[in-house]
Amino acid sequence: MFPTSTQRKHWMFSGEDDLKKLREKANKKYVDGFGEHLNEEERSEKFLSPTEEYVLLRFYINALREFCVQFQPPMPKYVIGTSMMYFRRFYLNNSIMDYHPKDIMLTCVYLGCKVEEFNVSIMQFVKNLKSNREKMTDMILSYELLLMHELTYHLTVHNPYRPLEGLVIDIKTRCKSLKPEEVDRSRQGADEFLDRVLQTDAALLYAPSQIALSALLSSASKLGINLDSYATEFILGSGTKEQAAKTTENIKSIRYMVKHIPPLDKKEGKKIGQKLEKCRNQENNPDSEVFKRKQQEMLDDEDEVYSRKKQKISQEEKDAEKELLGL
Amino acid sequence: MEEQSCPRCGTNKYRNPNMKFLVNVCGHSICDNCVEVLFVRGSAACPACKIPLRRTNFRIQFFEDSSVEKEMDIRKKILRDYNKQEEDFPTLRAYNDYLEDIETTIFNLANGVDVEETKKKIEQYKKENKDTIRKNQSKLSRDEELIEALIEEERELQESHRNDMKQEETKEKTRKIQNKEALIDELMFSEAPANYILASHKAEVARQREDEEEEAPSLPKARTTMFSSGIRVGQQRGDTFPSTVPIEAALYIYSPLSIQYCGPDVPDTPAMLQNGYLNHMREASQADRGGGYEAKVGCSRAVQEALCGLFYTYQEPESQAQESSSSSSPSSSHMEMEIS
Repeated sequence: MFPTSTQRKHWMFSGEDDLKKLREKANKKYVDGFGEHLNEEERSEKFLSPTEEYVLLRFYINALREFCVQFQPPMPKYVIGTSMMYFRRFYLNNSIMDYHPKDIMLTCVYLGCKVEEFNVSIMQFVKNLKSNREKMTDMILSYELLLMHELTYHLTVHNPYRPLEGLVIDIKTRCKSLKPEEVDRSRQGADEFLDRVLQTDAALLYAPSQIALSALLSSASKLGINLDSYATEFILGSGTKEQAAKTTENIKSIRYMVKHIPPLDKKEGKKIGQKLEKCRNQENNPDSEVFKRKQQEMLDDEDEVYSRKKQKISQEEKDAEKELLGL
Repeated sequence: MEEQSCPRCGTNKYRNPNMKFLVNVCGHSICDNCVEVLFVRGSAACPACKIPLRRTNFRIQFFEDSSVEKEMDIRKKILRDYNKQEEDFPTLRAYNDYLEDIETTIFNLANGVDVEETKKKIEQYKKENKDTIRKNQSKLSRDEELIEALIEEERELQESHRNDMKQEETKEKTRKIQNKEALIDELMFSEAPANYILASHKAEVARQREDEEEEAPSLPKARTTMFSSGIRVGQQRGDTFPSTVPIEAALYIYSPLSIQYCGPDVPDTPAMLQNGYLNHMREASQADRGGGYEAKVGCSRAVQEALCGLFYTYQEPESQAQESSSSSSPSSSHMEMEIS
């Protein structure tokens, strides 16, 4: 249930400014870490700005949706919702330059499938990719733990899809004046609305039931079905005036957000993508020399630690023996 | 591990499920049939190592590895002589050295290292410590004493219990016979009608049984002062059993779960059924019901999720609320609203 969930406790924010601040902070952290020796101008030339990051992020959000829609076997919508939420949450605290969104995107979908009990094996999963399947398998599996850690293991996501069903049932039951067929007719529009919500940050700002209600209201008003009496009488009527006002305001802003999604500029996206290739963290790029070297070092380290431990233990044993012999 | 087979006749457990392996002091195992055959005279040489053996020394083999058997055997023999207790030594160190010494001796004998020398050492030890050995043998160790006492006590308890039962039974029997005789006597000699006599007799028997039942509870009462293991409560037995301290804690009190829906009231399941919510649900298929699913489960979940959180507004996390309450006015107004 949403009101008692970790989603409400840890992953809800006051507004878009709040999200922007977090993303700027993540960007600054990366730039400060990797651009110590550079001055302000060189930095802005080399690294992505928070705005550029967000543009690229939106491209990958779109890509995630496309990937999920074309996924074989077809996946239920709530898997898309959950994966999308993971993706957004991850890049609130991490820069795109640090971890490439293409990798994280696939990992998010893989984890989403698992959490939402949509059972696909990793082999089935990578069959949906065009190339480099083996490398991607390794990559997804190695990023999975990192992703869960970055999500602080808050894996349950409340999506607006079930609330929508609940609202439809509730309306059909309580509004005797409306014909059930009419309510069903507004469902398609509501689904489209929720699809568009995926492209916005609404899930980080508003409760899933609020999003579902906005979807239904917007779709109904387009079809000329009057749901206002239901909303005012049964929903808002049961709360205080302030609650009703605030909820109305929230629903309005959700509808505004969905209506005014800025279009994606493909050219700019491509440009930023090329820039990203130059400034991304090479330690997290499996194609780079740095990554390979580091991997090797890690393996060596492990061996070394092991041998050092062994040496220490044998030394201790020898000492103990000497002591025992009374030396 | 491979099936063990008798070195003399080659039989194994598979061919003869009743076969038993016997082992003698030398540690070589041999099947019971061969022992029958070889040791008709009471003593013969071991077929493996030609050591003269006595038939009476054969034991059933516990362990599959006969070297373990042999070691156990030797250990038993050695410990009969090396029976000093911890109290016999001035320091713990000395006692530990002594134990170490015993282990070395046993190992040497079991593995055939310096056998002659070790045997000499044992002889010497026996001579030197004659008195202590005898003393310790006569005085069973404290542990054994305790265990024996416990066993004895338990046995006694069982015995007395059995006696009680037996007495009770015989008492019952004699009374029944007496009753029967009394009834027959009465039927023979009384003037009263037969069915009246039978009825009064029945009443008498019932009364007796009641009396008996009243007496009965006195039996278990006497036993409550004992634990199931037969130790009497209050009996001083040193520090053998740590006394348990009863833990006192407040009893758990159930309080019903209260949920903040943060939205309009959610109808509970009975209300949902009454108001016809289920008319708008897909009916549960047979396969669904097999797994315990019913339409009302899905329905109440969906409606609950639809209504909860509808009045949600952003609330500062508690830890940060104090820092930012002065700076951000909108959030504080939210908080007021939540309280109202």
